[in-house]
Amino acid sequence: MVNYLIRRLFQMMLVILLSSMAIYAIMNLAPGGPLSGINLGADRKSRLSVEEIRRIEEFLGLHRPLHWRYIVWLLGEDWLDKVGLEHLQRTSCQRIPEECARGVIRFDFGDSWRLAAGQKVIDLIWFRLPNTLLLMTSATLLSLVVAIPIGIYSAVRQYSMLDYAATAFAFFGTAMPVFWFGLMTIFLVSGPRSPWHQVLGLPYLPTGNTFSLRPPPPGSLLYVLGATPGSALDRAVHLILPTLVLSLLYMAGWSRYTRSSMLEVLRQDYVRTARAKGLVERLVIMKHALRNALIPIVTILTLEIPGIFSGAVITETVFNYKGMGRLYYDALQADDWPVVMALLFITALLVVFANLLADILYTIVDPRIRLE
Amino acid sequence: MATAELRAEALLTVREERYLQIVWRRFRRHRVALAGAAVLLFFIFIAIAAPWIAPYDPYVQNLERKNAAPSPAHWLGTDELGRDVLSRLMHAARISLTVAFVVVLISQTAGALIGAISGYFGGWVDNLIQRVVDFMLTLPLLPLLLTISALLSDVTIPGLSREWSSVVLIIFVLSAFGWMGTARLVRGVVLSLREQAFTEAARALGMSDLQIVVRHMIPNAMAPIIVSATLALGTVIILEAALSFLGFGVQPPVPTWGNMLNNAQADMWTQPFKAIVPGFCIFLTSLSFNFVGDGLRDALDPRLKR
Repeated sequence: MVNYLIRRLFQMMLVILLSSMAIYAIMNLAPGGPLSGINLGADRKSRLSVEEIRRIEEFLGLHRPLHWRYIVWLLGEDWLDKVGLEHLQRTSCQRIPEECARGVIRFDFGDSWRLAAGQKVIDLIWFRLPNTLLLMTSATLLSLVVAIPIGIYSAVRQYSMLDYAATAFAFFGTAMPVFWFGLMTIFLVSGPRSPWHQVLGLPYLPTGNTFSLRPPPPGSLLYVLGATPGSALDRAVHLILPTLVLSLLYMAGWSRYTRSSMLEVLRQDYVRTARAKGLVERLVIMKHALRNALIPIVTILTLEIPGIFSGAVITETVFNYKGMGRLYYDALQADDWPVVMALLFITALLVVFANLLADILYTIVDPRIRLE
Repeated sequence: MATAELRAEALLTVREERYLQIVWRRFRRHRVALAGAAVLLFFIFIAIAAPWIAPYDPYVQNLERKNAAPSPAHWLGTDELGRDVLSRLMHAARISLTVAFVVVLISQTAGALIGAISGYFGGWVDNLIQRVVDFMLTLPLLPLLLTISALLSDVTIPGLSREWSSVVLIIFVLSAFGWMGTARLVRGVVLSLREQAFTEAARALGMSDLQIVVRHMIPNAMAPIIVSATLALGTVIILEAALSFLGFGVQPPVPTWGNMLNNAQADMWTQPFKAIVPGFCIFLTSLSFNFVGDGLRDALDPRLKR
């Protein structure tokens, strides 16, 4: 086991290094650089000269060859003068030592170019992370609480009415475009003009964002509940629709996984033995069958972890929910590469770790499996 | 000699017809799949006939009657540039379905070939291909598609305008990330086919590896390939719509259901049908492909039934 882990860690470092190279190369070799559109909307007077563009490039460090830019992105540039490469350092870095000691290795992904120009990318991410974690936790919990019982029931009572209903639901869930479903829920129950409020006269939900900016107007659910802007209640109400929309997707898939995994287990000999020795059916299912049926579910759940970071791009975008997914979308829209690269890198990191975690969890939930 | 050959051929066609008849009989029993097929035929007819049956040119703007409500002249009203929504919807079916079919054709062919090679040759080839497939399957698909589409958004293909380039590029991007599932599927089938007697017979008769893969392995894996291709069509429809909706897919003025939905969300409460209809088309098409795929799975090969 220890040997296995050590070998795995080396492999993982290699994979992370390779993917960081791939991410950097793709983002920097693609047509259209960060300064490509700089003169686009400018009139003759404010247009930048070649000389000025060159100075900006030097300031950003873009004058260095690609491989050196990658190395500096990864390791920072404070060590360059110690190995006699001070000509590769930026002048701003030579003046201010903190500017030098950066790099991914210190968990510093540089500064944002456009979204929040001059702010550290990592600060943007820290600011957004709690929102996404909140959304993902609530969506995951809700889907598990609904999907696993549905899956168990569908398997135990195969071809019953409820099984057919669950199958139909799974089909709808997989075929449903999330963005449209999100828009439709906003249309139906959010905002003062929604049919929910206009026709039924019920208190409407907020259309987006993670919290209210001003006191809620009369007629809204927030007003009815007396939620003050920024309070926990306020955030919870803003979480309702994104959670529902996101969990629909997960529910459709997870109830299917549980069903097929459970069907598989119920056919096995030991379940027949348990029944034959006169065990109550409820115990056979909940204690003997379910435990083994949940093994593959654990893996699937673990492999969802990277999705925590980026999986909810569409949902967060539709609901203007200020999380990592929305940040990713905004960064792509604004060509803010440092932010995009940081998010991709962290995702790659999570993919690698989630895979390891899944393998380790596998040996814990299923002692028959041994890693070597 | 000639008659014998002819007779053998006639026999073959009779048997082939019977197989198709069996498939059709089984498929027909699957009511939902049949309904899905009917819906798809309807959309495919609209897509093919769009230039002739659409009441207006989908690109002609008329700013005097922009954002019009539905009327006998414009059944679904007009959009923010005064273009007829129904005509755009019909042409969008053309684009969305073409993209889906081309992507699936490319990615399934590539997937089948790669999977067959991987399973047939085994050894380090198989190992390498499977590690690549594993890696690509763990990557979060949507962020990756978004990033690559965003990076390619400034690329124009020589001879095409920017928005038509975006159609070609989206096909390229979706194909590049759509082959892994099929590759894994076909590999599994080929692994068992490889051990069967007819493969050995083919090799004994002097067929080359390539011939065996193309003439024996892939045709025998056709049933699962067709099923996975049908299901993939549903997925690709949604992915293309998602990318176009987010602004990284097919660029306006070329209409697709995704980018029409994006346009419609601004005045969703005043003119809800403009957001409801394109989204419903996406949902219905994708659902139908899923139903048909499910029906085909039962019809083509009962052993595959879950």
